[in-house]
Amino acid sequence: MSEQGAIREFLLAFADDEHLMGQQHTEWIGVAPFLEEDLAFSSIGQDELGHAAMLYELVLELDGIEPTDTAVDLLAFGRPSHAYRCCHLVEYVTEDWAEALVRHWIYDAFEEKRWHLVAGSSVPKLAAIAGKALQEEAFHRRHADALLDKLLEAPQARKRILDALEAVAPMVPGLCEAAAGEARAVAEGATAGATADLLEPLVRAIDERFGRSTAAGLTADDPADGQARRTRRSGSFEPLMARMREVLDFDPEAVW
Amino acid sequence: MARSWATMEDFEAFLDGGGLVEADDAMPDAYRQAVFAFIEMHANSELMGALTERDWIPKTPGLRHKMAVLAKTQDEIGHGHLLYMVAADLGVKTRTQMLEDLFAGRSRFHNVFHYRAVTWGDQVAIAFLVDAAALISQQAVFKNCSYGPYKRILRRIIAEEGFHMRLGEDRMMRIAEGTARQRQMFQESLDRWFWPALQLFGPDSKPDDMLLRWHIKSERNEALRDRWVQRFVPMLQGYGFTVPAPGLRWDDEARRWDVGPIDWAPLRRTLAQGGPDSARRIGEAADNWRRTAWVRTALSDGNGS
Repeated sequence: MSEQGAIREFLLAFADDEHLMGQQHTEWIGVAPFLEEDLAFSSIGQDELGHAAMLYELVLELDGIEPTDTAVDLLAFGRPSHAYRCCHLVEYVTEDWAEALVRHWIYDAFEEKRWHLVAGSSVPKLAAIAGKALQEEAFHRRHADALLDKLLEAPQARKRILDALEAVAPMVPGLCEAAAGEARAVAEGATAGATADLLEPLVRAIDERFGRSTAAGLTADDPADGQARRTRRSGSFEPLMARMREVLDFDPEAVW
Repeated sequence: MARSWATMEDFEAFLDGGGLVEADDAMPDAYRQAVFAFIEMHANSELMGALTERDWIPKTPGLRHKMAVLAKTQDEIGHGHLLYMVAADLGVKTRTQMLEDLFAGRSRFHNVFHYRAVTWGDQVAIAFLVDAAALISQQAVFKNCSYGPYKRILRRIIAEEGFHMRLGEDRMMRIAEGTARQRQMFQESLDRWFWPALQLFGPDSKPDDMLLRWHIKSERNEALRDRWVQRFVPMLQGYGFTVPAPGLRWDDEARRWDVGPIDWAPLRRTLAQGGPDSARRIGEAADNWRRTAWVRTALSDGNGS
């Protein structure tokens, strides 16, 4: 894989994660446990969608395509399923707020580490996006932590949170799985380290946060997938993307 | 410092003189109840409006477009949040009581949010027609509102609603200049939303309307409705859409549009929670509220259930 192709694949996986995570968070507007949470969850989702848009723009620039909104949307919504590179954690659709909160905490714990890896990237625009994103991530993390601090102390709520962790944990290794070409992206200085190296510290952080060992739950996620979790879509992806594309598919000629 | 008035006449003279009532004033109970009911309905409508829009947010055609639509709906929830706080300060109900009454179908919200947005065109029609109707009403309340806390937050709400309406107008213009399918979709949305949006202003104000007398409202319903009609009928026609009012005519003498007779039965049905989508809308909101009760319980007493 060429240097440019490697960086492109790396950025695409990053962007797809941000896009779908943002999408999932925004689903909580109006149906979170209280109004402040409606606003918090959807505003965090909006941040992630913003990161996705900026990362897609970078991908387009590498492709030599002018990053107009139309071009971004074509990349964000218009690829065949097999061309997406997101992890299964962000594809997972849930109506359980405990699962949404646990995923939010895990994703942002991971994100903070991932953004740090690219804060000094040899791709100047990526480093600039990281600077902005890290400021926002600090808020995201405080939000999830403040809720978990209280919920984990209440016995019934704690049980729901730990059940949610059990449901979500198998998707954690996929989150830390490298996109194809990542080794080359590291060699070129686009990112400072391998995504896979983030798994161990992430699991330690999860254990510390939730007060239990999650290691046993991490292997349950379709081990047959092996190293292909970012190139194979989970069962949640197609219906989710069909929903996201409904208006775009209504009239492919239309500009909205 | 809290103020009080010896008689209703004194209080009304204070209001007529442009006085602003504050939350800790010893206001007459009838005024307290009236202003509370008005703000509670406004708060409920912001929240139920957000739920109407919510159905279509995941389907927004475009990434940055989605961020804009999301920001709009966040504004609506934010307005609801502020309004519930101002309403709660009146001491009639707590925020939780207001939400529980709303989800149990015991309190009201605007007629338009008893309808379902069935296409993306409906989402745009809401941002354009309904937000404009709400804005016209809110501007009229703000102009001469006698309840200080409400007047102050209306300033912010009106500023944001102006952005929403412009977003709706911008999206409507893209559709108007778009493909035949887009235009047909929006015409069908107009057919569904024109009358509910117009009915949002309510029937003609009664001569003894206490909301007018106490300067909670500053203009009669029919005047506000007419302002909306005179603005939107020519605009929609200008973009090549058909206004779905069979009795529509231009009164050359009065230099104004007349939409013909208005059927108020649909509005009355929504007031009795019998609108086309009332049961689903209230039922789903109530389900969501129940499903997340464990969080509120755990955060309030550390003993989640």
